[in-house]
Amino acid sequence: MALPNQQTVDYPSFKLVIVGDGGTGKTTFVKRHLTGEFEKKYEPTIGVEVHPLDFFTNCGKIRFYCWDTAGQEKFGGLRDGYYIHGQCAIIMFDVTARLTYKNVPTWHRDLCRVCENIPIVLCGNKVDVKNRQVKAKQVTFHRKKNLQYYEISAKSNYNFEKPFLYLARKLAGDANLHFVESPALAPPEVQIDLAAQQQHEAELAAAASQPLPDDDDDTFE
Amino acid sequence: SQMDPDAVSKAFVEHYYSTFDTNRVGLAGLYQEASMLTFEGQKIQGVQSIVAKLTSLPFQQCKHHISTVDCQPSGPASGMLVFVSGNLQLAGEEHALKFSQMFHLMPTPQGSFYVFNDIFRLNYA
Repeated sequence: MALPNQQTVDYPSFKLVIVGDGGTGKTTFVKRHLTGEFEKKYEPTIGVEVHPLDFFTNCGKIRFYCWDTAGQEKFGGLRDGYYIHGQCAIIMFDVTARLTYKNVPTWHRDLCRVCENIPIVLCGNKVDVKNRQVKAKQVTFHRKKNLQYYEISAKSNYNFEKPFLYLARKLAGDANLHFVESPALAPPEVQIDLAAQQQHEAELAAAASQPLPDDDDDTFE
Repeated sequence: SQMDPDAVSKAFVEHYYSTFDTNRVGLAGLYQEASMLTFEGQKIQGVQSIVAKLTSLPFQQCKHHISTVDCQPSGPASGMLVFVSGNLQLAGEEHALKFSQMFHLMPTPQGSFYVFNDIFRLNYA
């Protein structure tokens, strides 16, 4: 959903709600997409910046109106006006700050209270940082709630397109949808250690075949 | 001697936010055990818990800009009701947040005031 003062388009567009603790990199992540950054609009009464992010698929263009807060989440939960009419979502945490993963269930609950049955991606950001506090195999919340999980590094553009591709496929109802062209992205500010990250991805894949931890209360110690 | 409530409330508000912005832990001196804070809907009581909440907010640098201060004398105990609106700029954020805050100040035996009630809200839809 575009803001009232924002241009609408004649191809499919969807409101994408981004939530997660302050400092996890939500704004950094959406700002990577350069045309979205140029066309963003701020709405002070809602306290939201909306970035229109276009992607090019084999079925044509798709636009995500990415809703990003002005930092209100640092004071507590967000208001319903932020979530309402959300059609898809990204929940972000920071793999270098354990508390931000611990708070993921709260963000998920708040989101689902307003937006029932929308596709959701969980993103563990900052995987470029050497000293991770949340290891790939410790991330299990997405398996309990049927979310997709991706490890990302906003500053290096690592896996930038993955969450959008997953959401586009769900929204289009086409598991074979693919991107035919990459959007213009800000140049990487850091390099990721690809060998180390491949190891993390392998651990994640191995963990997926393990039974879930017994504790059913969404806690993470 | 009767102090001018408007002058007192304005001085209090300036002191409160300059302390918040430069030395948040120093706010402890403005609350007491019976003090209550409702921060974005979360209820907190007692000076220690209130200061713990305010100092644990996940941002370090911030700057309050006051737009309005309204005040009324409140009750036989010479309390004072103070209502503030303004903007709050967090370091690293592009846009300032609008906020409202209400203080119920009570006199101390020393002739000063402490915050008995404090309600804080961000203003957005």
